[in-house]
Amino acid sequence: MREFEYRVATSVAEAVALAGQSHGPYRFLAGGTDLFLALEHGARRIERVIDLKGIPEMDRIAALPDGGYELGALVRMTDIMAHPGLRASFPALVAGAAVVGGPPIRNRATVGGNLCNASPAADASTPLLGYRAKAMVVGGSGERTIPLSALWTSPRQTCLVPGELVRAIRLPALPAGSGASFQRLTRSAMDIAGVNAAAVVTLDDQGRVADATLALGAVAPTVIDVPEIDAALHGRTVDQSTLRTVEEAARAAAQPIDDVRASADYRREMAGVLARRAVQEAAEVAVAAQAAAPQAARSAPSAAGQAGGTP
Amino acid sequence: MKHALELTVNGTPHTVEVESRTSLLTLLREQLELTGTKRGCEEGECGGCSVLLDGALVDSCLIFAVEAQGRAVTTVEGLGDPEHLSPLQQAFAETGASQCGFCIPGILIAATALLESHADPDEETIRQGISGNLCRCTGYTRIVEAIRLAAQLRRSSG
Repeated sequence: MREFEYRVATSVAEAVALAGQSHGPYRFLAGGTDLFLALEHGARRIERVIDLKGIPEMDRIAALPDGGYELGALVRMTDIMAHPGLRASFPALVAGAAVVGGPPIRNRATVGGNLCNASPAADASTPLLGYRAKAMVVGGSGERTIPLSALWTSPRQTCLVPGELVRAIRLPALPAGSGASFQRLTRSAMDIAGVNAAAVVTLDDQGRVADATLALGAVAPTVIDVPEIDAALHGRTVDQSTLRTVEEAARAAAQPIDDVRASADYRREMAGVLARRAVQEAAEVAVAAQAAAPQAARSAPSAAGQAGGTP
Repeated sequence: MKHALELTVNGTPHTVEVESRTSLLTLLREQLELTGTKRGCEEGECGGCSVLLDGALVDSCLIFAVEAQGRAVTTVEGLGDPEHLSPLQQAFAETGASQCGFCIPGILIAATALLESHADPDEETIRQGISGNLCRCTGYTRIVEAIRLAAQLRRSSG
């Protein structure tokens, strides 16, 4: 690995300033589980590595008044897995975080790093997209909020301009009567997803879909949203017929490649299978959530959704 | 760019000089001559380089030494010695869980972390706890038994 200048930022402002002052290419260091290898094997010479772990507020998980959460970019996979509020309210994110690498990786890997590494197969990122999370980006010209679909532009590339970093991720609360699910095509551990999927379904009190999202990973240049699923499901019950249209929508949305893990054809087929499983499980969780919290909960948004999500 | 680094390893404070790019693994093996921790894949896939950093299981091959400034590292040498085996080391010896031995330091570290948070882990929990460690020789069966036995030994010794 080529030598670089290592600097520790103790505030967001300092991190932005250190980036701006860097004479050559720089990188922000979070958990390092991807960056270390990029520095080891990368073709570009990096002048400066700015360690963000000296910034106190960046590893906090904060509950928001609406029942959602704000995750600092340095929140680690193990922090997500251990947090009672996230486990209760955002189980698909917990399920995704729980399969990133293995235990030693999860003790270092951060949610900000997972997003900014921009792997099309990123297991924490697919559920975040399914939950409609937003990234709080800070840079030389202040702070902006972007949907995750705008963050990723191509494999391993984000829309961040020099000097910008993701400060935090905001997870909006789900309405009552919602359920979520994360699915992955994988070995048992220490694997990259062949395909992954995350679905969030909200049912009305007739058991019909009021809202639905589906995110797919490892079947396109970036993690993708499948907006067609809303048209496929809105106002309908989740049954074998609607699940077939979900499967078709997922297969149509997938633009996979052939690689060492799977052929494009297999990935496309599995995108449909995982989408079906994710939507089915999310709907089952939503039904259970409705049964557990009728009438009173429906008048106010709450972080609904019990345990659901299969690693 | 040289850094004067202070850290504690197995309870002993050290002041060392490292480059920015020096990995924690290199520091431990080559400067501190603690060669129990192994170079395996050097890409965070095999767990041969596992250490505890402030008690948390990590792959030292993916961490810059400078990131350990002011922190406490535990390597396999810190778990016990031939005259004073830890319950875990004792269990591995009794069970015959080691063949070539290369993966064992990393697995002992992973098991140490596991037993700190799970006093009575079932088989699934044990397998999850060592899922970041590869063993080419044993098929993991006796390793899992040894960790189970170690959990019992720890509980019975209070």
